[in-house]
Amino acid sequence: MARDTTALSRRDVLKASGAAGAAGLTGLAGCAGIGGGGSSEYPALGNYPVEGDEVVFGFNVPQSGSYSQEGADELRGYNLAKEHLNNGGGWVDDWDGLTGDGVLGKTVASVEGDTATDPDTARQSATRMINRDNAIMITGGSSSGVAIAVQELCQEEKVQFQCCITHSNDTTGGSCVRYSFREMFNAYMTGQALAPVLAEEYGEGLNFYQLYADYSWGQTQQASMEQFFTEVGNWSQIESVPTPLGTSDYSSYLSDVPRDETDVLVLNHYGLDAANSLPQAIEAGLDQDMEIVVPLYNRLMAEAASDSIGGIFGTADWNWQLEDDASQSFVEFYREEHNRAPSYGARIAYTQTLQYAAAVERAETFYAPEVIRELEGHEYSGAGLGNETMRGCDHQAQRDVLVMQGADPSEQTEDLLLNIVSQTPRDDLGYACDAGPAAECELGDYGDE
Amino acid sequence: MLLQSEIASILLNGLQQGAIYALLGIGLTIILGTMEFLNLAHGALYLVGAYTGLIVFQETALSNGLLYSSGITTLGFEGGFLAALIVVPIVGFGIGLLMERFVAEPFYDRPETDQLLVTFGLALIVEETVKNVIGGNTFQSIAPSTIFGVNVSQPISLPLVGLFPSWRLLIIAIAFVVIGLTYLAIERTDFGLVVQAGTHDSEMVRILGIPINRSYSLVFAVGAALAAFAGLIGASIQTVSPQIGTERALIPAFLTIVVGGAGSVRGAIAGGLVLGVIISAMTQTYSQWAQIVLYLFVALMLIVKPEGLFGSAEVGE
Repeated sequence: MARDTTALSRRDVLKASGAAGAAGLTGLAGCAGIGGGGSSEYPALGNYPVEGDEVVFGFNVPQSGSYSQEGADELRGYNLAKEHLNNGGGWVDDWDGLTGDGVLGKTVASVEGDTATDPDTARQSATRMINRDNAIMITGGSSSGVAIAVQELCQEEKVQFQCCITHSNDTTGGSCVRYSFREMFNAYMTGQALAPVLAEEYGEGLNFYQLYADYSWGQTQQASMEQFFTEVGNWSQIESVPTPLGTSDYSSYLSDVPRDETDVLVLNHYGLDAANSLPQAIEAGLDQDMEIVVPLYNRLMAEAASDSIGGIFGTADWNWQLEDDASQSFVEFYREEHNRAPSYGARIAYTQTLQYAAAVERAETFYAPEVIRELEGHEYSGAGLGNETMRGCDHQAQRDVLVMQGADPSEQTEDLLLNIVSQTPRDDLGYACDAGPAAECELGDYGDE
Repeated sequence: MLLQSEIASILLNGLQQGAIYALLGIGLTIILGTMEFLNLAHGALYLVGAYTGLIVFQETALSNGLLYSSGITTLGFEGGFLAALIVVPIVGFGIGLLMERFVAEPFYDRPETDQLLVTFGLALIVEETVKNVIGGNTFQSIAPSTIFGVNVSQPISLPLVGLFPSWRLLIIAIAFVVIGLTYLAIERTDFGLVVQAGTHDSEMVRILGIPINRSYSLVFAVGAALAAFAGLIGASIQTVSPQIGTERALIPAFLTIVVGGAGSVRGAIAGGLVLGVIISAMTQTYSQWAQIVLYLFVALMLIVKPEGLFGSAEVGE
């Protein structure tokens, strides 16, 4: 993995002037002494310095609520990452900077919290992890509402947050913060990847009708679909209707879809919501009159709506069928532990934890501003999606996006529910730092200015 | 024509939703009315009904499951859901008897807060048990594709409404048959007379020498069977997961009896249908206002007619 060398970090300056000796640095760094993660090379900030032989990571996932099954798989990914960071194995053996002997020589310990798929609960849980458990890094969440709430807290507390499943444009757009990084793609990139495939498949000049979950993710999701379906496919939106998060009966919303005018019905729902809305749309016979699209797939939804997903397009963060070495090795060691293929939630959880640990090793400190500088602009591969960049201006990973299609129910197995249609290269996706969601991003301070 | 079509669609969707609310509301209201017992575990009974239905449906499906593994591969129709229609209310009835005996009875003379705590605790225990025994997975809805050889998985075309899922039409009919039978049982039988008298003045019924304690068990069990049946109906149109008891059943059941009036079967039926139609109408017209209007309506009912549409003043006091 190559490191982005375009920006000189303060750590680089410190390293370069190492010959001047530790004593000479004290004025620059503000404290006395040079050492590992637990010493006082830098001033106290957040939960730095880390005392003792252990460093605590906070795994804050939904263990109840609409996205609890996602949370369970995220937790499996996190615990594998912890195991490999401490004892070697998995991607740790091939990941630059990681030793398999903890992080900076400290054993990784963890605390778990339940976000209940609710931003307030997630904030409370993260607060406990920061204040009571001294977590140096918080990661997790499934739901952009949760991710945004927790990353705001982490910015205030100067504790790093590594996002897990969060697909709203706002996470690294209008609500971005310096202390948070996102490996997952976003709704804007879903629009960029999906629109050309759908235009090719269904034709141009069609009318589409949207239902969307009425919170941060659903709102940016529907806006991105509107933008790219209009721009790329020259499609026209008939109407876009919000539905409350957690709706279980969509029949009234679906009754309102004008069958004779609508060519494509877009269901911007996720998890349990999508597992209800898609089968109900098919039960109402809407698939006989129009095409149905579910822009963001997940395994929970695909499993729970398996009879209904055949032929339906969407996107996914990653899939176990990818043939590259990293993906296959991840599938293998995950399967050994849990006896089935991992979901993409598990991959993001695993990857985000390793990314953080590797950045700490490169920075040679747990001091958050230095770790953040190591991650900003960092280029990496080996996370299953080829070359990726953790962009400095908005902390959004620039990476490939998978377009998926539901497998026919007769072909489906426990693991095979979706087929990969295409892997859109990152060069065909994304947006400049002054465009798209990034234009609204102001990251905030490092905490050592 | 467009307006008529819209109204017809709202009414049909409202009937379907309202039928489930009414089933839940009847069960809750007869328990509350007769025994003045607030049962927050009513949602858990819905959950039990949904999961029992799911298990029966899967195990009696003729392409796999227990019957299939025993060599029974055909009965001439898809039997899973029909079996569930019979088994689920029986299971609900049995659980209701046990609940009345071991949970409700010791708390009849205790303050309402104690009743709330014990039944809420029971609801949590049921939810956690389901999670631990069956897992937190979400299951697909369990609607059959055929009943007696008739395809019910395809929508049918109705005048004014247009295409409507035929299975939903069928469950409206099934739910209303059950609601009608319950209504007749309470209006036209000795058991019903005791229930009705109990909702008005249970002390007087006891003084008259009627063995109301035995009726209590029956009332509780019938209420539980109706909640379980509502769970089965719900599971046939929506996914099944451990949290559905609280999210989809408990709150609607209470709203239903607030509107209809505590202790009144007619009230529960009317309340359920009114709420179903309000939700359906708001969803189809101003969806973002649906929840707000729903709760405003219930609040208005509490102010203008606190005893509900058909509630008895005694229970409402």
